[in-house]
Amino acid sequence: MGKHEEELAREMRRRGMSRRDVIRIGLQLGLGAASMGMLLAACGQTASTDAEKPAEEPAAEPASESIFDANAGNTGAWPSSAVADPSEKVEISVGHTWDAVFFERQLQFDKLFMERHPNIVVKAENTPWGEFRQKYTAAAAGNALPDLLYTQFSWAQETIRSGMYIALDDWIAKEKDFNLDDFTKPSMVSYQYDGKLWGIPYDEGPGNLYYNKDIFDAAGEAYPDDSWDLEKLKAVAIKLTSGEGPNKIFGLGELPSPGDSLMAPNYLFPFGAQYLSEPKEDQCLINNPEAVTAMEWWEELRAKGAVPSPADLQNVAWPAFQFGKIAMTLQGSWATPPIQAGSKFNWDIAKWPKGPKAHTTFSAGSAYMITRDSKHVEAAWIYLNEYLSTAGQTYMWASTGRGSPSRLSAWPAYIGSKFAPAGAKNVEEAMSQGIGTHDIIDQPTGPRVTQAAGPIWDLVVAGQKSVKDALAEVFAAVDPIVAENRG
Amino acid sequence: MSIPQSATPVIPTGKPKMREMARKEERSFYLFILPWIIGFLLFDAGAILASFGISFTNWSALSAPSWTGTLNYTKLAADPLFYKAMGNSLYYGIGSVGLGTIVSFLLALLLNQNVWGITLFRTIFYLPSVVSGIAVAILWIMILHQDFGLVNSFLAFFGIKGPGWLVQPEWAMPSLILMSLWSAGGSMVIYLAGLQSVPTHLYEAAEIDGANTFQKFWTVTVPMMSPVILYNLIVGFIASIQGFVLVYVMTNGGPANATLVYGLYIYRTAFINFQMGYASALAWILLVVIIIITAVQFTVARYWVYYEGDLKQ
Repeated sequence: MGKHEEELAREMRRRGMSRRDVIRIGLQLGLGAASMGMLLAACGQTASTDAEKPAEEPAAEPASESIFDANAGNTGAWPSSAVADPSEKVEISVGHTWDAVFFERQLQFDKLFMERHPNIVVKAENTPWGEFRQKYTAAAAGNALPDLLYTQFSWAQETIRSGMYIALDDWIAKEKDFNLDDFTKPSMVSYQYDGKLWGIPYDEGPGNLYYNKDIFDAAGEAYPDDSWDLEKLKAVAIKLTSGEGPNKIFGLGELPSPGDSLMAPNYLFPFGAQYLSEPKEDQCLINNPEAVTAMEWWEELRAKGAVPSPADLQNVAWPAFQFGKIAMTLQGSWATPPIQAGSKFNWDIAKWPKGPKAHTTFSAGSAYMITRDSKHVEAAWIYLNEYLSTAGQTYMWASTGRGSPSRLSAWPAYIGSKFAPAGAKNVEEAMSQGIGTHDIIDQPTGPRVTQAAGPIWDLVVAGQKSVKDALAEVFAAVDPIVAENRG
Repeated sequence: MSIPQSATPVIPTGKPKMREMARKEERSFYLFILPWIIGFLLFDAGAILASFGISFTNWSALSAPSWTGTLNYTKLAADPLFYKAMGNSLYYGIGSVGLGTIVSFLLALLLNQNVWGITLFRTIFYLPSVVSGIAVAILWIMILHQDFGLVNSFLAFFGIKGPGWLVQPEWAMPSLILMSLWSAGGSMVIYLAGLQSVPTHLYEAAEIDGANTFQKFWTVTVPMMSPVILYNLIVGFIASIQGFVLVYVMTNGGPANATLVYGLYIYRTAFINFQMGYASALAWILLVVIIIITAVQFTVARYWVYYEGDLKQ
């Protein structure tokens, strides 16, 4: 392997890139088969190290690839649980779905946890996002769920109602210093059912406007700030769009699609329009005149070539912003670690701009639950209690700059983190000022809604259908689905 | 040395020997298929039977199933995506098998020549069919890329602006069909084996009768190869109609459901929407469709497939 290939392989490992990413970049760089094979091998070594790393032997596998220092963010203020540690060694398994960069942090946390609790062995299972639900639904059918499981807002209610988890109220009641009021209100919405709490959220954050400072500087444009409204966003996105082919710069990373469950707060509410009637989601409102007008307003950016086409985004790893060709993009704060690790440009975040009728952005998050199949519930609770304590959230989400911790007490550590963007305060303000709203599609009918609407919108993207006609079709397809939520 | 002779000569009937040979052949037959039978019974049969039962239930895989009778099957009739997915799969099956048969047969004819380095050429043409599906999919995404792909770069050389092969609804399925030719080497090898077993005396006889190259191909090669063509058609069509991996990786059914093939629809129904009962019903309908199409292929085969030594009743 030549010097350049070695350097590239090292950089790819550092960025936690997959083999698929390697193939894409290798082809773009015109690398020969031999070089590509070596890069794949290099990447494969890292991948297998991560996947096969035995959680019970963390000391033998230092997280040398991590961009985070193992001890940074460790406040030492770990809660002492009312539940006693097991007297003999037990193993608990935890199902995660982290990106490669953040999974290294997970392993660092688990190592520290096992040092504090020598009789609890933590086995971390990391599953790619696209396969996560399939894997654990199959596990649920076979009564083989791990002790603790990641759960996203969009499927939380469905899985809670199916009996996959145990209620946590009794466990929380045992802990004297477990302060439920410390959690932001939107963070708890998706995990309550039947008067009980079934999961503890780890994050809940707003959609933020990430911007590439280098692109702004090159165009002599001022960075986004609180004075911006959506008209300004649109004008600047068009102004920053330049170039052709591989060198093209896009003003904005994405446009609204009814195939996206997070769409309404950022693209419709600011114009006084809605997608579904929130919070019951029992009516489709997307063909109302104000919604049609709003969607037509956004589509003007596509006509100006200011957003990437589906072809431009083919085979590009999430988030596409990290590759430096997009001036602005809408992302949750959880996009920070891959951008931090992958980008080679200056960037920051601002609040999503206000609209003519309202100032809103989506707010979403995730939680961890103890599953009904857990064989060591006590140990699982000890882990969960520490993992999502103020100290745990500070270590995992605040000090790493990933952000949007569900506990208010962890926010100062996030804003002060060296990994957080300079504008991290905007994230906190979007939540405290009520800009972030959890009025997103999160009922069990959600996946069917987005699956029905997405393909119709593809024809708008392809320029083969008008916005108005497409929205009429979306209404016809979606309204019967959400009718199930009536009564 | 004298040979002892019995007073009454024994006339060998051959029947006990024949029976013994038949029994031996029967034993060998069962021994050879036993590994497959064991594997099928251990790993497949239970799941297949269970899916039949599940198709009569409403089951999310997260909680206990509830009996719904034939509701899942009647629901199919009113499901537009069922028709869309079935239509797409038939389109893909006919397109890829039709085109694949022609290309792989022609390739086999080309590589059935006695020229220097022919083994190397055969290897080169066969090689793509052993590459893993995911790698092939990613490679073809790049080849068919609208702006940087090899295909559009080639077209641009002639001043033609190529389409967005995988991102435009009208081009997505033709692109997948075109891409399926990548694995033509698999069928080509079977055709090649068939071509090498066509007796040369048939060509010699045709030559004596004054047949030209095309006549020899049409009256000798094609009839003698017809059982192989039938085999490839049946196996290829069954594989195509069950296609999933390449579509899942390359287009995920899009754009605008233009490549939503039946296998992907079953997958989405089962593992995105978690409607296991409905997904099982979809799978069983696919089995029925495959059986019907295969039966039709066998029926029509009577009129065009020639089996040497076959006794016509």
